[in-house]
Amino acid sequence: MKKLLILTLLLIKPLAAAPEDSLVRINSTIQTYSASQPWEKNPPRSRRGLGILLPGHRILTTAAMAADSIYIELQSADSTKTVPAKVSAIDYEANLALLVPDADHGFLVDLQPTSIGDPSKPGEEIELLQLETNGEPLSTTGTIRSMELLSTFVTGRFFLGYIVKASMQTSGNSFTLPAFRKDKLTGILTSYNSKDQVSDVISIDIISAFLKDSADGKYEGFPSLGISTTTTEDPHFRGWLKLPEDKGGLYVTRVLPKGSADLAGMKKGDVILGISGFAIDRRGYFKHPGYGTLFWPHLVRGGPAMGEKVAIEILRDGTPMTLEPTLKKAPLPLIPNSLYDEAPPFLIKGGLVFQELSKPYLEAFGKDWATRAPLNLLDVLSNPEDYEEGRRRVVVLTRVVATEATIGYDRIASQIVKSVDGQAIAGLPELAAALEKSPENGIHTIETDEEPYQIFLDVALSDQVDRDLLKRGLPILKRLYTLE
Amino acid sequence: MRIITQIIIPLAFCGILPAQLKELPATPQISAIPQPTLYDSVVKIEVATQVPDYRTPWNSGRFSGGTGTGFIIGPNQILTNAHVVSDNRRLLVTRRGSSQKHVARVKHVAHDCDLALIELQDFAPFEGLPYLKIGGMPRLESRVSAIGYPVGGERLSVTQGVVSRIDFSSYSHSRADSHLVIQIDAAINPGNSGGPVVQDGKVVGVAFQGNTQADNVGYIIPTPVVKRFLKDISDGNYDHYMDLGISPFPLFNPAMRTAYQLPADGKGVLVANVVPAGPADGVLERGDVLLSIDGNAIDSAGNIRIAGEFVDMNEIVERKFAGDKVSLSVLRDGKKFEKDLTLKEFPHSRIYAIQYEQIPRYSFFAGLVFQPLDLNLFASFKFDDRRLRQIFADYVSKGLFREMEDVVVLTRVENDRLTTRMGGFAGMAVSDVNGTKIKNLRQLHEILNAPNPPEFHVIEFNGANRPLVVPSAEVAAAQKRIMAQVGITKAAQLD
Repeated sequence: MKKLLILTLLLIKPLAAAPEDSLVRINSTIQTYSASQPWEKNPPRSRRGLGILLPGHRILTTAAMAADSIYIELQSADSTKTVPAKVSAIDYEANLALLVPDADHGFLVDLQPTSIGDPSKPGEEIELLQLETNGEPLSTTGTIRSMELLSTFVTGRFFLGYIVKASMQTSGNSFTLPAFRKDKLTGILTSYNSKDQVSDVISIDIISAFLKDSADGKYEGFPSLGISTTTTEDPHFRGWLKLPEDKGGLYVTRVLPKGSADLAGMKKGDVILGISGFAIDRRGYFKHPGYGTLFWPHLVRGGPAMGEKVAIEILRDGTPMTLEPTLKKAPLPLIPNSLYDEAPPFLIKGGLVFQELSKPYLEAFGKDWATRAPLNLLDVLSNPEDYEEGRRRVVVLTRVVATEATIGYDRIASQIVKSVDGQAIAGLPELAAALEKSPENGIHTIETDEEPYQIFLDVALSDQVDRDLLKRGLPILKRLYTLE
Repeated sequence: MRIITQIIIPLAFCGILPAQLKELPATPQISAIPQPTLYDSVVKIEVATQVPDYRTPWNSGRFSGGTGTGFIIGPNQILTNAHVVSDNRRLLVTRRGSSQKHVARVKHVAHDCDLALIELQDFAPFEGLPYLKIGGMPRLESRVSAIGYPVGGERLSVTQGVVSRIDFSSYSHSRADSHLVIQIDAAINPGNSGGPVVQDGKVVGVAFQGNTQADNVGYIIPTPVVKRFLKDISDGNYDHYMDLGISPFPLFNPAMRTAYQLPADGKGVLVANVVPAGPADGVLERGDVLLSIDGNAIDSAGNIRIAGEFVDMNEIVERKFAGDKVSLSVLRDGKKFEKDLTLKEFPHSRIYAIQYEQIPRYSFFAGLVFQPLDLNLFASFKFDDRRLRQIFADYVSKGLFREMEDVVVLTRVENDRLTTRMGGFAGMAVSDVNGTKIKNLRQLHEILNAPNPPEFHVIEFNGANRPLVVPSAEVAAAQKRIMAQVGITKAAQLD
C-alpha cells in the first residue's frame, strides 16, 4: 500500500519531493588504531551527522562520517527507526562517502530520494537543511559568496567548494549538512564559522564526479598530477626564470616519481604557464568562466576524468613547451599522508617494535608534533626524496618493549632501519621476510641510522620472547600487507 | 680547629654587637686589632657587562651588570666563576668592611667549567690577607660553609649545609658541559656565585649554581675541577677540557655481547660512534669495544673505579690536558690490542656551547643577514626549520663540520622593496651561492661581494623548494639604502 502511495505522488508531481524527505540521520562509531601501540585500538568516539538518500537506496554523506568507522547506523528523522549501514564508496580527500543499508532497507523505503542539481554559481541562494530533535526540518537560506578550492578533511587536498554566507542556528555536534538549490541537492556543508557566519560547502561538481565514478561499483578516485609547486610572485625569481611580465607561472618544486607529470616528462624547475588552455597566474590561480578565480588543481580534479590527457604549457630554461600527461591517481607516497580505514602495519620481534613511517604516526606526537616528533623522522617528511632510494616505505624501529632480548636497548627509539642481516629494507613485509631467515650465528644484525647503528637480536631468544609476549596479552605480533 | 675559632669570633664581632661590647669592656681580644681572617679574603665582585645581541649583531648589545663573590688564592689571584665575569666591560672588587672599589681584570676564564681567575690593577690594598687553600673532596654528610655576598644584604653572608650528593652533572653556564659536582643543602643564592665553600679552613668547592626545581639545594664546583683549571692555566693558557670524541653504548645485551665476541662478564663498553676528525678518529672505529682506560677496567656501562670511587670513564679524560696520552685496551673483531690516543682540542664541539666574549660574526647583503650557526644564535632565534635543526644535531657526530666549517644561516630579511618576497627563506641554512658550496661565512661574503657578479646571485638553501635570487644590478643601491634604514654602519663582521 505504502509503495503505491509514493508512486502516485511521483506520478502527480514528479519534482515535488521535498528535500527534507530525503534526510537521514547518521550515527557512526569511529575507532582508530593507537599510533604508539599499533596492536591495539584507541577508545571509540561517536560522530553524528546527516545523509541524503539518493535513488537506489544509497546515502550520500561526508568521508568524515565514515572514515575509521566500526559501526554506522542510519536513523529516521524522528529517531524512531534505525538501519545499519556500510560504506560502498569513500573518497577521503574529496571528503565524500556513499553508504548503503547493510541488511534490509527498513525505514528508507518511506523516504523520497533526492535528485542531483545543476552546478551552482556565486550569488545564488541555497537552502541548508538541519533536523530538529523532534524530526522537523530546519532550513536556513544562505548565499554563495564565492567559489574556492577547499580542503575539508585531509589537509592539503583541495576540491571545488562554495563559501556560503548564512546565519545558522548551531545545533548538533557535527557539520555534515545537505545544501539544496531549487529542491535539488547542490552540496554538503562541512563546517560553519559562527563568528563570521560563513560555511564551507562541498560543490555539486565534485559530488557528481564522485557519484559517476562510483556508479560501476569500483571507485577509482580523483586524478592527480603528482607535483608540488610554489608561486612566482617574487620579481627577481621571475627575472631569473626569464618569465615575461605579462605571464603568470607556477614553479614546480617536486615531481613525484611515476606520477602522471613525471611520466609526461615534467621536471623540477619547470614553470607551469597554462593548463587545458587556461592561463595560470603567478599564485597558481586561473579564471573560470562561471565560477570566478579558482586554484589550479581544479583543472586536474574538477573536470577531466582518469585516463584523459591534459595539455600543460610550461617554460623550461626560458623555452616554452607543452606536456600532455595522461591523468591517473597520485603515486603511492613514501610517507602516507593518511591511513583512514587502514590498520597500520607493524611487526614486533623480541620486543623491538617496527612500524612504517606515516604522517598520522608523526601527528600522534601531539599538538606540537611538527617540532616535538623525532627530528630524523620529521626530516623524512620534509625531504622524502632523500630517502626514496631502495625504499617503498620507511621502516622505523619505533620503540623497544622491555624483554630479555632487549636488555640494554632501552634508550633506543625512532631509528630508521636500513638493513637486516645485510639486506636492504624497502618496507615492512621485506623486514618480516628478512627476520624469518636465520643467520648462521643465530643473531640478527639490524642496521639503523642512529647510534649504536647496529642492533643485535638473538633469534632463539627473540622467538621465545615473542611467545611470552603473546601470553602477556599482546593479541598479535605483526600486521603485514601483501606486496603486489 | 683554630681557624674555626677565628671564624666564630669575627662573626660575633660584626654581627651581634655593640651591646655586648659595653657589657664586657675589659675583654682584651676585642680591644686588640683583629688579625685578618679567611673571611677577609672573600671579596665582592661588581661587574658591568655588555652582552652582544645576536638578533642585531651590528648593534652594541645590552649593557647590564651584577655582583658575585671571589676569593684570594695567591698573590694577586682571585678565583671566581666564569659566569660572574663573562662579557664584562668593567670589574670592581671590594674588600670586606670597606667601600673602596678596586679595578680588576680577567686573567683566565674557563667557560666549560665555569671558573675564572681575575687580578687587581693594584694588589697592594689586599696584601697581607690570607690565601685560601684548596682542599680535597668533602665526605658525604659532612658539614660545609658557603661564604659570599648573596642578595638580601650588603655584608658578607655565611650559610652552612651538608654534602648531600657527589655526582657527574651539567654546568649550566655553557649549557654543554658536564663535570663532577657537589650538591649541598645550603641555599646558594644570586651573588654567592664564585664564593668559597669551606671545611676545616680549606676550600672544598666554589659555589656556582642552584636548582630552580628544588628548595635548599646548592651546587658547588669540587676541588678536582678547580685544581685542573689552575694546572691548565699554569702555562699561561687555558686549553679547555679534553674529550675522547666517541659515543659509548652500554654492552648489556647478551646478543650484542656475542656479536662482539665478548664473554658475559659485564666488562667492556661499545664505541657506537667516533667523531670524524676527533681525537679518536683513526685510533678507534665504530664497533670497537673499550676494555680499559689507563689500566682501569671499564664495565659494560662505561664506568670505572678510581680510588674506590665508581665513576664514568670520562673522569680519566677530565683530568687530562691537551697533548696528554690515554692508553686504551680495545677489542676489535675479537682481537685485543693496546693503543694510545693523544688528546687534542676539538673546537667544533663548541657549537653546542654558549660563547662569551665573542663579537658576533655576520654578513649583511642587500637586506639579507647571514650568520654562522652556534648555540648563541640558536638561543636567540629559536629556529624551527627541520633541515637546519637536523644539520645542527649532526654537525659533530656525523662530521658535517668537514664540509661546513660554518653552517651559514639566513637569519633575517630586512624589509625593503628589494627583499619584499624573500622573507620565507629566513631561518634556513645556505647550501650554495652562485653554484659554489658554502663552507664558511667569509667565503659566502666574498662570493656575494666579488667583482663582476653574475646577472643574478642565486642562493640555495638546505631543504628549500626554490633558490633565492638577487639581481646584482640592484645590490649596491639596496645595500646603501637598507643599511641606512636599519641603522647598520658595518656591512660585515667576519672575525
